[in-house]
Amino acid sequence: MRAALALLLLFMAGSPLSAQAFDLGKLLEERINQELEKRDKSRQQQSAPAQAAPAQPAPAGAQSAAASPPPARQKVDAAQIGFALFGDYSLEEENRIGRQIAGNLLGAARLVPDAALQRYVNEVGQWVAQHSGRPELSWRFGVLDSDAINAFAAPGGYIFVTRGLYRLLNSEAELAGVLGHEIAHVTQKHHLKLLKQSSLIGALGQAASNKVKDSDPAIQNLIGNGAEIMARGLDKEAEFEADRIGMVYAARAGYDPWGLPNVLQDMAALPAKDSRTSLLYKTHPHPADRLSALGAAVGDRMDNVRGKELSGRFYRLP
Amino acid sequence: MKNNVLTASTLALCLLAGTAAATPGTVLRDEKLYSQPSASAPAAASVSKGANITVLAKQGGWLRVTSGRTTGWIRLLSVRVGGGGLASVGVGDVVGAATTRSDPSKVVAVAGLRGLNDEELKGAQFNAEELARLDAMAVSQAQARSFAAAGGLASAQIRFLPKPQSSQPATSWEDN
Repeated sequence: MRAALALLLLFMAGSPLSAQAFDLGKLLEERINQELEKRDKSRQQQSAPAQAAPAQPAPAGAQSAAASPPPARQKVDAAQIGFALFGDYSLEEENRIGRQIAGNLLGAARLVPDAALQRYVNEVGQWVAQHSGRPELSWRFGVLDSDAINAFAAPGGYIFVTRGLYRLLNSEAELAGVLGHEIAHVTQKHHLKLLKQSSLIGALGQAASNKVKDSDPAIQNLIGNGAEIMARGLDKEAEFEADRIGMVYAARAGYDPWGLPNVLQDMAALPAKDSRTSLLYKTHPHPADRLSALGAAVGDRMDNVRGKELSGRFYRLP
Repeated sequence: MKNNVLTASTLALCLLAGTAAATPGTVLRDEKLYSQPSASAPAAASVSKGANITVLAKQGGWLRVTSGRTTGWIRLLSVRVGGGGLASVGVGDVVGAATTRSDPSKVVAVAGLRGLNDEELKGAQFNAEELARLDAMAVSQAQARSFAAAGGLASAQIRFLPKPQSSQPATSWEDN
């Protein structure tokens, strides 16, 4: 995929600027069709077991290509692909992408109907986010009505934890640690980077033209089906990085830095076959690996950090 | 170490209750046991990666543990609390299965459990009403500041953590 992108950019750099805007759509379409044909061929050649168990985490694009049937030949939206290829997403684009993902996620699980809970999580989250280096985002936090144990972040500052994960928590510092991890995914733009890697495939993918109220069809086309981007997961390094950064965000906000490590300990102790963690474990490294990686980074660096646990103020679910 | 089956079934309850009393644990890296919860305290002993310990108490970023005949304090992040050992989930399945057998109340794949799996995410339809509810509950920066002040939270200067040189994982977990 990377080679294809490089080729593509090279190709376009060669064309005169004036003609570029004009021919971009056609040019991209040709290149993409070539790529798709190549992939179809290589897929036929590959044996099934080799695909089922990749030795190394494959790039997101390759994963989705392997998982979904050959994409239907849709008309390529050049503007859409262009904005995925050139430079960074603007703040407005980031917000549009995040809003679409968040709206889809809320289609899979609604918010817990408890206004006091939702307000509390927004207060803690907004305070931690003020220490994240991107305080300008419109941060929104929600507890999803699901027994699954998981948390989600979408670009633009949308953060969700499930009721199942919330129930595992024992203090405000632990909540701050979990939210810090998710906030770090947003500040590091992990999902935007994932989208950039897979955007060529996503744009051609099978995303049904979505006629749902207030849904953004162009963005939906970019992110694939529903909220599947949330089920795809990031690479391990992105998760380890979010642990390191999330722990620091919570500590900068004045919380006990050991909130996130304590939650990881509790998750590591859950029975392996617990169905509530099946998606979490599919998309995240095992908590024991996360503890180990975080421990290697922390060492003695937090020894003199004193923060508050605030277990007394923690909002407990009825 | 005690019977695996017993500890695994009681462990989650112990942890949820916030008690670290006499739960098993595994050392994740070669470490020292200190006589006090501080790296400036004298080291009581050394423990090796993979060693089984018993967790007695918790204090901040430290655990008070027993390893063999020695008791001392070890860093929280150098231990995996619980019966999972260094094993990945794949290997840990044995524990999960045993738990299910020994205690029917711990069967977790219960019908009616509202999960959130990839199929549900993939098929999700944009929900504008819930998104509007989410927007309506957002908190302003000023509100967050007064919330923090009410809890006695003060911003602190803390440096980012460096990426470790070799992030050698404790377990291999390639499939996931």
